[in-house]
Amino acid sequence: MVADADRVRRELEGIVGPRRVSVRPGDLDTYARDMWPRLLLARRAGATPTMLPTAVVWPESVREVAAIVRLARNLGVPIIPYGGGSGVCGGVVPRFGGITIDTKRMAALRGIRASDQVVDVEAGLSGERFERELTRRGYTFGNFPSSIYCSTVGGWLATRAAGQLSTKYGKVEDRVAGLTLVTGTGEVVDTDGPRRAIGGPDWTQLVLGSEGTLGIITSARLRLSPAPQLKVFRGFEVDNVAAGVEALRRVLQRGLKPAVVRLYDELDTFVNSFGHHHHDEAAAEFRHTHAPVPLPGEGALPPLPPPPRATDDDGPLERLLGMVRKARHGLRGDAFTAVLDRPRLINRVVGTVAEKIARKGCKLIIGLEGARLRTEVEAALTFAELERAGARDQGEEPGRAWLARRYAVSYKMSPVFRDGAFVDTMEVATSWATLLDLYHSVRTALGKHAVVMAHFSHAYPEGCSIYFTFAAHAPDRGASERLYDQIWKDGLEAATRVGATISHHHGVGMLRAPYMAGEHREAMAILTALKHSFDPDDIMNPGKLGLAARRWEAR
Amino acid sequence: MTVELASALAAVVGADHVRTIYGQPALAVTPGSPTELADVVRITADAGAAVVPVGAGFRAARVRGLGDRRRVHLSSERLDQVVQLDETSMLCHAQAGLTGAALEKILAPRGLSLGDYPPGILSSSIGGLIGVRTPGKSSARHGFFEEAVAGVSAVLADGRTIHTRVAPRRSTGPDLARALCGSEGTIGYITAAVLRLHRRPEARLLAAYRLPSVDAAIAAAFLALREECAPAGLRIVDASEARLHFPEAGLADGQALLVACTAGPTDLAACDRDLIASAVAAEGGAAADLGLAERWWRRRLGTEPTPEPAPSFQASAGPGQLVAAYHAIRRALPAARLHVSRFDLDGAVVFATLVDEHGDALEGDALTATVARAEAAATAAGAWLLGARPTALDPYLKALRAQLDPRGVMNPGALTES
Ligand SMILES: Cc1cc2nc3c(=O)[nH]c(=O)nc-3n(C[C@H](O)[C@H](O)[C@H](O)COP(=O)(O)OP(=O)(O)OC[C@H]3O[C@@H](n4cnc5c(N)ncnc54)[C@H](O)[C@@H]3O)c2cc1C
Repeated sequence: MVADADRVRRELEGIVGPRRVSVRPGDLDTYARDMWPRLLLARRAGATPTMLPTAVVWPESVREVAAIVRLARNLGVPIIPYGGGSGVCGGVVPRFGGITIDTKRMAALRGIRASDQVVDVEAGLSGERFERELTRRGYTFGNFPSSIYCSTVGGWLATRAAGQLSTKYGKVEDRVAGLTLVTGTGEVVDTDGPRRAIGGPDWTQLVLGSEGTLGIITSARLRLSPAPQLKVFRGFEVDNVAAGVEALRRVLQRGLKPAVVRLYDELDTFVNSFGHHHHDEAAAEFRHTHAPVPLPGEGALPPLPPPPRATDDDGPLERLLGMVRKARHGLRGDAFTAVLDRPRLINRVVGTVAEKIARKGCKLIIGLEGARLRTEVEAALTFAELERAGARDQGEEPGRAWLARRYAVSYKMSPVFRDGAFVDTMEVATSWATLLDLYHSVRTALGKHAVVMAHFSHAYPEGCSIYFTFAAHAPDRGASERLYDQIWKDGLEAATRVGATISHHHGVGMLRAPYMAGEHREAMAILTALKHSFDPDDIMNPGKLGLAARRWEAR
Repeated sequence: MTVELASALAAVVGADHVRTIYGQPALAVTPGSPTELADVVRITADAGAAVVPVGAGFRAARVRGLGDRRRVHLSSERLDQVVQLDETSMLCHAQAGLTGAALEKILAPRGLSLGDYPPGILSSSIGGLIGVRTPGKSSARHGFFEEAVAGVSAVLADGRTIHTRVAPRRSTGPDLARALCGSEGTIGYITAAVLRLHRRPEARLLAAYRLPSVDAAIAAAFLALREECAPAGLRIVDASEARLHFPEAGLADGQALLVACTAGPTDLAACDRDLIASAVAAEGGAAADLGLAERWWRRRLGTEPTPEPAPSFQASAGPGQLVAAYHAIRRALPAARLHVSRFDLDGAVVFATLVDEHGDALEGDALTATVARAEAAATAAGAWLLGARPTALDPYLKALRAQLDPRGVMNPGALTES
């Protein structure tokens, strides 16, 4: 039985009052999507979303959330948790309609327990406000995703997000002492145990990353670190990707923990044009000058970069797309479709240019921060280890340049989507032993269809993640979507083939759902069992995370 | 009653590896490979019997409530091989029956190690180490032992084998390996794990300090930890225990001895040592004879005997509750010898050796009564007891088990509300 929208609205109003429920078309439209680029392709073509929520509701307490979930259970409608909507995998898309719960009115930072270095915080708090408040009190949580200005703490926990300083502070899942969750039965449970060493499985780790399919996280107890007393940033240059990977491995396996580790492959190095190096002719042709941005004041977070203007052309993504376009022109009047037919050609043209530029090698950014004494010692050891591995010290400038611009890149997505092009990112991870294999396999797979650049970031003693950025063109929406899907299929299957994970930190949502069986194989049995245990009626964000949604698909 | 089952199992693992347990409806079975183990689970389940994991590091089999249901005490003892050692990624794929200590012997010549965990825990099998959670399986350098687990292989109740995929980190749903870690064989029988390794430290530096009080020593320890000091070991010994274990320290009542070992690249080990020294100075302490720390470390490694008897009570507490927990236990057990160790940013464990006025270990009713007093005092002060477990999520665990194991085959007596 499908409850009608009016009944859903009335019942919701009974719980939260009339002002915090909406069924207005504008709101439903807004809450139909997140930042999944595939949805932008449709939107760019002027399409209206086909999957809309029945209603949007803004609860203010865990009690209200629990009542809403129980209502949904009774009415037989799905619940879709919605944080900042910055997800890039379609995690918040209401595939089967239902009640979208926006968590942003549950945004209190309840308190810091100094003795234990933990904070109790509500799930809807924006990442930016969370970090600013912690900075003010002398702490950091240490999670700085590029989306920090538009994502919530709950969204981070639901997707196992990673920040730019994760090599030191860990991904969010490494920083959680406990969660409060409203499960699919409408019950409120707390996974916060007495320290981590207690009997039974670690429920916190079984809820983290569940992307709203097991329940709604309403608050969390998170581990803090003292605000850093010292920051040291440096740029290095290595001969090639392999040399850079080896240098990073040595640093991490010596037990050193830099906060920032970013190794750019040849094209990514060029496109990011770090510092003020003299490029050769080929580089000059493609070079888009940009003024160096001064190091912002010593807060953990710079002010939000201004919104992109249509004329903006100074981001790496634009430069990447500039290459795609120039390569196209280089084909002298060849029809655009002809380029699409021969995508390798684009890569080759661009590849030649990049290779010329890349004679100088690959850029490596290393940053350390933390307690003064230890950071000084670790920095000296880290830099020495890198030099021993053949990396050439480029001084502080490239590090400062990265630090100053680190949030600017991602906010320039939309202009990129002009004239038929699209850009997306694919982050995969594996052990050091298979890392180069992963790099070449995925790069080759993506390179059949798109221009590809990559950087290695988020390093661990046992391995590292690779962040691929790819740009491609197609004439119309249908072709774009087909191309988009093919790119992802080829890329993710290549990752699975070498034994890597298909996502290091963006999550699954709808995008990777078809690849979850390949990722987990027989172990999916455990995920399915968890789902039945926490959400017996399958109302929590159905059709995500590769879980079957038979109840809804039958309709 | 178990005869038929015994012969069916013997056909899989060989008659030498199936033994009847006298006086119980139970068989002790030691399969020689993961495939055999999977077959044993399937056959046991089909016979309506239960699987109870046994071996080094597991709690004593919980057979309460099983009545005369037949059971197979399944040991991973013969699964003792290193499957793969990836020195490039510092990952070791090892079978569950190998003990931590045996694995350390294999790793040592290669300059590798499981890391600076309390040596005591390494006598457990890998299956026991990760299958059962207890406080103290933790290191200030590397975190809780579970965090060393990059992947597990396990046999589910229906005999299916699963292998969670190995990656440094992932965002593809919950961490499924964690459903098996700590679940004491109720979700699946762990047959192998991929473990994160560490290099053997380039340097180890020892130091000993005398502090005016246990409170000051605890404060100094957390002060150093918050400055990111990550010692390989740190112990605070109170005067009662120091009198027997470190008599030459000459501690007065109320004073405390703090011994620490820092490790890593030499400069980092020295930095961590200095951080502890400054923290101690800030709390009014001073350096003591280095020989005390050396003695502690030798005893820890087992190269010198530790004075008997061994601790018989432990409670863990967070940094905010630790001082109160220590004093509560101290007051409740005036004769006991106490030390605090297993420090990390989440807290530490208070260990008590329960002795009578002659210094002999308490036994029988006296022990039971004293332990009960200690438990009450520790709990009231906000500490947690060994094996304690919040039960709020028990209904979900029950549902999870019902999904994966509808016949209740896998260690049915464990992790249930008692
Ligand atoms: C420009 C840009 C840069 C980005 N950079 C990064 C980066 O550096 N690192 C990174 O990890 N990610 C990054 N992302 C991806 C995204 O920001 C993260 O996935 C983030 O964690 C999502 O948070 P959110 O609050 O926006 O969640 P949403 O997008 O609202 O939701 C994400 C998923 O979690 C579920 N969910 C949300 N809140 C809850 C809750 N309280 N309880 C249960 N389920 C919930 C939703 O149902 C959905 O499935 C970036 C995205 C953009 C657009």
